[in-house]
Amino acid sequence: MSEATHPDYLECLLKSWQAKPAESLSWLNQLRAQAIDRVSTQKLPTKRDEEWRFTDISSLTRLPYRPSQPDSNLHIQDIQHLFLDEVKNRLVFVDGHFSRQLSVIANPAFTIGNLPELLSTHAPILESHLGQYARFDSNVFTALNTAFLRDGAVIIAPKNTVVAEPIHVLFIATQSEVTHYPRCLFIGESGSRVTLIEDYAALEKAAYITNAITEISLAANARAQHIRLQRESTQAFHLANCAVSLAHASNYQSISIALGSRISRYNLDVRLTDEAAECVVDGLTVISDRQLADTHTCIDHSKPGGTSHQLHKCIADDTAHAVFNGKIIVRPHAQRTNSSQSSRNLLLSKTAQVDTKPQLEIFADDVKCSHGATVGQLDQEEIFYLRSRGLSEKAARNLLTYAFGAEIISRIPVTSLRQQLEQAVLDQTQSNSL
Amino acid sequence: MSAVLQSLVNQPYKHGFVTDIESDIAPKGLNEDIIRLISAKKNEPEWLLSFRLQAYQKWLTMTEPEWQNVHYPKIDFQAISYYSAPKPKKKLASMDEVDPELLRTFEKLGVPMHERAALAGVAVDVIFDSVSVATTYKQKLAEVGIIFCSISEAVHTHPELVQKYLGTVVPVGDNYFAALNSAVFTDGSFCFIPKGVKCPMDLSTYFRINTEGSGQFERTLIIAEEGASVSYLEGCTAPRFDTNQLHAAVVELIALDNADIKYSTVQNWYAGDEKGIGGIYNFVTKRGLAKGANSRISWTQVETGSAITWKYPSCILRGDNSVGEFYSVAVTNNYQQADTGTKMIHIGKNTRSTIVSKGITAGHSNSSYRGLVRIAPTAENARNYSQCDSMLIGDQCGAHTFPYIQVHNNSATVEHEASTSKIGEDQLFYFSQRGIGAEEAVSMIINGFCKDVFQQLPMEFAVEATKLLSFKLEGSVG
Repeated sequence: MSEATHPDYLECLLKSWQAKPAESLSWLNQLRAQAIDRVSTQKLPTKRDEEWRFTDISSLTRLPYRPSQPDSNLHIQDIQHLFLDEVKNRLVFVDGHFSRQLSVIANPAFTIGNLPELLSTHAPILESHLGQYARFDSNVFTALNTAFLRDGAVIIAPKNTVVAEPIHVLFIATQSEVTHYPRCLFIGESGSRVTLIEDYAALEKAAYITNAITEISLAANARAQHIRLQRESTQAFHLANCAVSLAHASNYQSISIALGSRISRYNLDVRLTDEAAECVVDGLTVISDRQLADTHTCIDHSKPGGTSHQLHKCIADDTAHAVFNGKIIVRPHAQRTNSSQSSRNLLLSKTAQVDTKPQLEIFADDVKCSHGATVGQLDQEEIFYLRSRGLSEKAARNLLTYAFGAEIISRIPVTSLRQQLEQAVLDQTQSNSL
Repeated sequence: MSAVLQSLVNQPYKHGFVTDIESDIAPKGLNEDIIRLISAKKNEPEWLLSFRLQAYQKWLTMTEPEWQNVHYPKIDFQAISYYSAPKPKKKLASMDEVDPELLRTFEKLGVPMHERAALAGVAVDVIFDSVSVATTYKQKLAEVGIIFCSISEAVHTHPELVQKYLGTVVPVGDNYFAALNSAVFTDGSFCFIPKGVKCPMDLSTYFRINTEGSGQFERTLIIAEEGASVSYLEGCTAPRFDTNQLHAAVVELIALDNADIKYSTVQNWYAGDEKGIGGIYNFVTKRGLAKGANSRISWTQVETGSAITWKYPSCILRGDNSVGEFYSVAVTNNYQQADTGTKMIHIGKNTRSTIVSKGITAGHSNSSYRGLVRIAPTAENARNYSQCDSMLIGDQCGAHTFPYIQVHNNSATVEHEASTSKIGEDQLFYFSQRGIGAEEAVSMIINGFCKDVFQQLPMEFAVEATKLLSFKLEGSVG
């Protein structure tokens, strides 16, 4: 029934974007054409697809989501509360469209800007990276984003550049019933060091779709810290894919925080394509009401000597539903891989639910791999201990819930962001518990 | 060292021989007539025939599953003969009347029935290509009211029990292979432990596939009434054949209030040769229903044979305070594939489950643990602990884990742990320093790795399993 509408739905989406102008760059036109081709051969995933087993996105098709139009009525004071003190370079996208007046580019030692602009100055390097990591053969949302590729954030850190201040890429949603297709490309050349904050926020409780793609490529010995913040409207759909490619001895550290959206899905694919690459992939999901947050990660070790560590935590209250699927692949010959993964889940209400699936696929013998998962409620003895110290039941619960989430938040290296998030988690626990 | 291991792993299958007994074989293929033929051959009552036909109708509407992490050429279900039985002779009154050829087969397998029965106190319900030939110790069991016989016999002697429970845990349309089994099963074991009876001995069945090209579809049904307890052993070896043989069994366990069922399996069917040709496809549905309060179902399995093993002995924990356990060792070598694990469905309050799974993978083989722990909204204070460890021997093999954890009640506590490791050079060095050769060291390390599971096996089985493991992996480390 609903399945029958899916091809039509995708067709409608494609048609709605027909007016797109052709670029002067043939490779870009070709990339889009390939993606459009892929979209037309695919269907929207249903719960019958193993990858979408717990996340029902059929409601996506019920609303007539149009592509978003640029809207420049936003003033800097409207979004000031989202800014971070440490940031010197900020790119702001309103409904997926770059806003020059809200952005700050402080003449840096690296390249930063939006896609159309940099296409004219940095076409060769963009050609070799754009669309090369986020593969769209089997993911309809990646294909859609690539098909509609027009704007996006591009950051290129040249060889051996160390950028001390974090770079803030802020995607703000203001309109209802639209779809935006944010895109981020980060290229870290060899020996560079950068901290990147990718931030999705909404100004009001609107229903819209964000279909975001982030591509990150780190060359040999490059290091990147990637903080991803999803604080969309609680009526929104957030469907995001992030593809990371790690070269020799590069180091990628990611912290993704999911607080918003009615239904969110975040796919993170990290490929360790050369020896001795390292990654740390942490995540925190804090949801309540009828929210559903689905995180799929895949860490793919294809060369020897790689290291990966992952800690993912979920806090689910009310009738919220948290899904985690973490896959670690150790390919043949990826010997001496050291990989650990942990999924910890806290259920705050009787009706909240968690589906977690930590998954190992190992094809090499000289490896150290482990994973673990726990699901539970707050420990009665811990609550008792705090109560014996004079805390109320509610305060004790809030404190323990906060502490559960704080383990991830405390790993964020940007002080102002850390404080904002600590406050956000505190607010959420206080408004929801008991 | 690697050469030693290679030679060890590559030992020829020791149980490869074909017993020459004239078989009564149904024509190949599957249709309603064949099902009616099976039913008629076995003189079955009308309700069982309609059970079979219903399953067959269901099966026709289903498609072969493809989600599992195993690969094999499509099975031609019309090329299988669904019934084969040794020629019916006169009813056997005692062991002496059993075909000496048959007895010799068992001896080759190391199952001297009378000896084993006498020494170990085990009653062996021998199944030879689907038809139960001899049942020993029936007398002794009958004294305490235990019914232990082949399922085709039970259909005639205790139809009310079979009809009441058959298909209640694994419904006819549960999955593709269970539906197939329900339509064509030829024989299997039936065991009924009445209220309050503790079974005085371990019950045991030896299965053996014999006729080339014949599938074996057994059906096992074990019922433990209130307060009863039983330990059931299942062991398998199969002769060597080059065409793949399908084995799709269904095992159903039902435990009422305070009952306790322990089901142990040692599976060593023909795994194919070192190139991966031949071997048994072992697609089995095993499920236990802990129906009553405080009941307990425990699965222990040692899987070393079969070209493909695909089974998930499961527990449905419906009764309050019921307990489910799953202990598994899966060893794969050469081109074997195993996708095995368990499902623990917590429904009742205070239900507990434990999963310990050990996978040892060598050669070009692939082994997957696939498990589901589901805590229903009604399962207050449910508790689960899962541990699955893999050991890889060589860099051509693969080990995978797919644990599904679904928690719908916040009072539940669920823990899952998994690790992957190999036999370290330093471990072997330590052994050789103590004067223990590589081969023996590997055997000891592996037995240590599997200790948690072997401890759960009844004594004789534990010994057998330890031996099995060491000759299975002989020569594979290096």
